[in-house]
Amino acid sequence: MDNSIIQLFPLQYRAFWQRTAEEQEHIQEIRLRAGRPVVLHRNGREVFLDGKGRFTNLQSDSYVMEEKVLREILEHICHYSPYAFEEEIRRGFVTVAGGHRVGVAGQAVLEADGSIRTLKNISFLNIRVSHQMKGAADGILSVMYRKGSLKNALIISPPGCGKTTLLRDLIRQISDGNAYGAGVAVGVVDERSELAGSFLGRPQNDLGMRTDVLDGCPKETGMLLLLRSMSPAVIAIDELGSDGELRALGQAAACGCRILATAHGEDRRDVERRFGLRSDFWEKMFDLCIVLGKENGKCLVRQISERGDGLW
Amino acid sequence: MKALGCCMIFGGCLGMGMWYRSQMNGRLRALRSLRNILELLAGEVRYGRDTLPECCSHIVRYLPAPYDGAFRKIEDRMTENTGISFGEVFREEMDSVLKELPLKDGDRVCFLDFTRQAGFADSQMQLRAIEQGVERLDVTEERLEKENEEKSRMAVGLGAMGGLLLILVLC
Repeated sequence: MDNSIIQLFPLQYRAFWQRTAEEQEHIQEIRLRAGRPVVLHRNGREVFLDGKGRFTNLQSDSYVMEEKVLREILEHICHYSPYAFEEEIRRGFVTVAGGHRVGVAGQAVLEADGSIRTLKNISFLNIRVSHQMKGAADGILSVMYRKGSLKNALIISPPGCGKTTLLRDLIRQISDGNAYGAGVAVGVVDERSELAGSFLGRPQNDLGMRTDVLDGCPKETGMLLLLRSMSPAVIAIDELGSDGELRALGQAAACGCRILATAHGEDRRDVERRFGLRSDFWEKMFDLCIVLGKENGKCLVRQISERGDGLW
Repeated sequence: MKALGCCMIFGGCLGMGMWYRSQMNGRLRALRSLRNILELLAGEVRYGRDTLPECCSHIVRYLPAPYDGAFRKIEDRMTENTGISFGEVFREEMDSVLKELPLKDGDRVCFLDFTRQAGFADSQMQLRAIEQGVERLDVTEERLEKENEEKSRMAVGLGAMGGLLLILVLC
C-alpha cells in the first residue's frame, strides 16, 4: 500500500498524519491553511481531521493548523532549502517525491514589471495526492491504433474527469508496447510536472521505458526542443492552452510525429470555440477525439469520434 | 645504564613537546578542512542552487576521510527521509567526527552554525549563513597560525628543557 505522503511531514508530526497516509489511495487533496481547520478531500467528499489525526465530519472537532507547523511542513517539503525551489514556488507549486504536487499561496513579491518574483509568508498549502492508475487506458487502446500505427488523438474533458490520468497511462502503454502496437519513443513535455510528477528531474510516475520527459518547460518551446533533440515517434502534452502550442503541435505532426494531447472542455465544440478554429482544422490535426465526463462521481469515456465518422 | 635512562627521559620529554606541537597543528589542519567543506557547500548553493542535502551528496567525492564517511551517512539518512531535519542529521553525523578531532567547542559551533539557519527562501541568504561560518573559521585559523609558530617552538623547547631539568634533578 502506497503511503508516500507521510514523507511530506517532519518526524514530529508523522503520528498525527499516519491515519491519513494509510488512507492515501482514497485521498485526493489535503488543504492546510494557517489558523484554519485541516480539510481533506476523501473519496470526493470533504472531511476534517481532529486533534489526533482522525477523520471527522464535524468542523467543531477539527484540528486548526498552526502557522509554525505549516512553515515546518513547507521547509521539510523543500528539504530545508526553500531557495532551491524558488522557481517552483514562483509558479505556485512544488512537485515532491511520489509525484504529489504541493500548491502554495501567500504574499506575492513582485518585480518592477509586475511579474511574480517569489511568494513570502506562505500560509496556504494544497497537497494534491498523485494517483497513478495503471490500466486506465486499457479500454481505449483498441481504437488508438490502425493496423499497428498509432492515431493522433485529442482527449477532451472538464476538470477532474481523469484526462491526465488517462493520458499518463496511454503514454506508458504506447512507450512500453501493447497488444495493438510495438513500443515506440515518446516525448513528453510536462510543463506543470503533472504527467511524470518529476522530482529533481526524475519521473515519479511510470511513463514507460521509451519515454523522455522534458520537465517544467513551456509546451511550445518544449515540443520543438524534443523534436530536435530526442526524435520521438510520439509527442504528448497535457492541457493544450494557446495558439502557439497548437502551432508547435502542428509542426510536430508535420515532422511525422504522432501526437497525443488533452484539452479542457465539455466537448469538441467547446474546444473549437475556445481556440476560435474551425472543425476542419481539428480534423486535419487529429484522427481521434475522446471526450470524458463524469456520472455518479465516476469518470468515464462519454464519446469517441474518429475522423470521417460524421461526429467530428 | 644511567646514560641510557637520561636519554630516555630526555627523549620522552622532547616527544611530549613534539606531540603538543602536532596537536596544535592538527587543530589547524582540521580547521582548514572544515573551512574547505563550508566553501564547497557554498559553491554548490551558489552555482547549482541545490538543496543542502543534495549539496552534501555532491561534495562527498572531494572530501578526505573521516569527513567523507559522515557526509555519506548524511546523504543516506536524508534520502531515507525519516522526517528528521537536515540540521539535526548534519549535526549528529558531524559531531561524531568532530569529537575525534583536536578542535575546541567554539570551532565546532562556527562550523555547525549554518545548520541552525537553514530554510532561507533566498539563496543569497543561505549562502551568507554558510559564508559567515567560513569567515569565523578563517579568523580562528589566522590567529592560530600566528600563535602556533611561537607556541610550537616553545613546546618543543620546553619539552627539551624539562627533560634536562628532570635529568639534573634525578641525578
